[in-house]
Amino acid sequence: MLSIKNLHASVEDKEILKGINLEIKAGEVHAIMGPNGSGKSTLSQVLAGNEAFEVTEGEVTLNGQNLLELETEERAREGIFLAFQYPVEIPGVSNLQFLRTAVNAMRKHRGEEDMNAAEFMKLAREVCKQVDLDPSFLKRGVNEGFSGGEKKRNEIMQALLLQPKLAILDETDSGLDIDALKVVADGVNALRSPDRAILMVTHYQRLLNHIVPDYVHVLAGGRIIKSGGRELALELEEKGYGWLGIKDEDAADAPAN
Amino acid sequence: MKPAPTLSSAFLHPAGQSLPQPLLALRKQRAAALLGMPLPTRKTENWKYSARHLKLADDMAISLPAEGKTGTSLAVPGYKVVFLNGVMLPEASEFPDLDGITITSFSDLDEQEARELAGRLDHTLTPQSVQLAQLNSARFEDGLLIRLQPDAVLDQPLYIIHEVNADASGSAFPRIFVDAGRHSRLTLVEEFISSGSNGQAQVLVNAVTEFCLDEGAHLTSIRLDMEGDSIQHIGATGVRQQRNSRFESHCVGFGGALRRHDLQVRLEGEGAECKLNGVVVAQGAQHYDNHTNIEHVVGHCNSEETYRNIAADQAHVVFNGRIHIHPDAQKSNAEMNNKNLLLSNGAEIDTKPELEIYADDVKCAHGATIGQLDKTSVFYLVSRGIGRREAHVLLTMAFINELVAQIPVPAVRETAQTRLNQFFEATFQEA
Repeated sequence: MLSIKNLHASVEDKEILKGINLEIKAGEVHAIMGPNGSGKSTLSQVLAGNEAFEVTEGEVTLNGQNLLELETEERAREGIFLAFQYPVEIPGVSNLQFLRTAVNAMRKHRGEEDMNAAEFMKLAREVCKQVDLDPSFLKRGVNEGFSGGEKKRNEIMQALLLQPKLAILDETDSGLDIDALKVVADGVNALRSPDRAILMVTHYQRLLNHIVPDYVHVLAGGRIIKSGGRELALELEEKGYGWLGIKDEDAADAPAN
Repeated sequence: MKPAPTLSSAFLHPAGQSLPQPLLALRKQRAAALLGMPLPTRKTENWKYSARHLKLADDMAISLPAEGKTGTSLAVPGYKVVFLNGVMLPEASEFPDLDGITITSFSDLDEQEARELAGRLDHTLTPQSVQLAQLNSARFEDGLLIRLQPDAVLDQPLYIIHEVNADASGSAFPRIFVDAGRHSRLTLVEEFISSGSNGQAQVLVNAVTEFCLDEGAHLTSIRLDMEGDSIQHIGATGVRQQRNSRFESHCVGFGGALRRHDLQVRLEGEGAECKLNGVVVAQGAQHYDNHTNIEHVVGHCNSEETYRNIAADQAHVVFNGRIHIHPDAQKSNAEMNNKNLLLSNGAEIDTKPELEIYADDVKCAHGATIGQLDKTSVFYLVSRGIGRREAHVLLTMAFINELVAQIPVPAVRETAQTRLNQFFEATFQEA
């Protein structure tokens, strides 16, 4: 489904990604782990099409289509979804208006009619329930005044609504207490399906207790330095990133759960 | 150095003579005072950014005839008064038939009433700051006096449609005076629109509306400036408030060749409060200039002012918000907030909060910002498949939604929303 070959990317002339190679097939769940500053978030942003990052080399294809040639909105319509590490607050645009505009943009792309307000409301309420968000959140400004956990649940709710082919979750576990983590994990597990791939970017292994990945990759210094099965995450938790010869001060502070 | 150009005497020719004597005398007096008035230049402080948009050609001086057909105004439900080219059309109007409210043309006032009115006109406005707008007092053909008896409550909004016909060059001078008695209630909606435009005609609209609120009166004023591009509009709204009265203003303005509106509020009785909301959008080569002035004359009054401006293309928007707290006005509470959004590199917004505080026990807060659409927000929206253009529209609307939502009359809110949508459609046209 997703094929990344020798991907290099820079921000403000500083190279962050230095040759990423990654193949993800439909139905698979991949986790990318790594210390802070290794390029995890950059990879997510580059895949989603953030113009602040410049791709200097390499290629990325989604089901054979050159992703790097597409605008951000076109990538989304082709099935890329990024759950943001820091979801943006947009006062003045209601969550409902935002979500309905997004859903209808996707439908238009597929040649389908707009969803009417009543139909949409029904659907939106259902997905809200799935991530334990009160439907009153639909009426509020996008992420406006949401707690950290509510923002993350709002991201997963959007993924459930938009049904992407590839969902990229950027540090979706950060800032969540254990209950919220479980709700978010349940939402992500509900997304798992044979025709969808999930790419989880995380610093800690605790999320992987709830969403069990098929593959784990360690990203350091802009390259994937080790890949393995889920046992690699457990090994990392036990031994720390230092085991692989990388320094990470934050990893030392990782909570024991 | 050549002398500054003065107001052409052509603009001071008296016209319609249907007014009662005291009002004619007032007009003559005002005309004499304006004779030889230097026109504002960029060195004139309160016209600094707008003087270059002011182009008063002599053929604009003549009053446009109060005849012809009115356009969209007939669609308005409920009570309405229709002005065409500055003069009221009784046949197109629908007056409320309620105890406690009278709506009278200036020309229908008897000598005694006219004398009383002549003594009150212009007293809500500070003459030196609205000199040009006061041309209205030298030129109004007629006017409308709205009187509310104590405790009178108008059950529906009263619409005033100011339509001007832009087919021929000339000017219009609509004038309104609202006298709200103790504990009376009124919502007044003023819509400024224009019909016809051959592109050549030069039209000046010089509208003045005054509100006097007696003790405990509650008045809401909604003003939609939606005239065509070619119109030069110089208007003023003056307000005087007595004890415990409340004045609420909602202005939505669309730019044009020249738009200048002065809003002046005097809080003269303890416990009086005002809330002033304003939205301005301008695109192309349009211009809009809002000057507001709130005078806290006595203590224990509240004022709250929120203005949002949006300038696209090469448009130019000006906001000058003055708050003046007089020496005895202790325990005044004043808040002013102005946010501005620039949608292109060629657009210009000039904003100036102006606070003069002469009392020591007051709360006075102000804030002004100028910014562009937030890139992170745009990325967030487009990352969900929303088109870039639509994302820009959503975010621009978001900037003013809060103020539009506060317009208390749903039908007016819808009109404003429709016009704003048209504005955004035009601003964010697909390249």
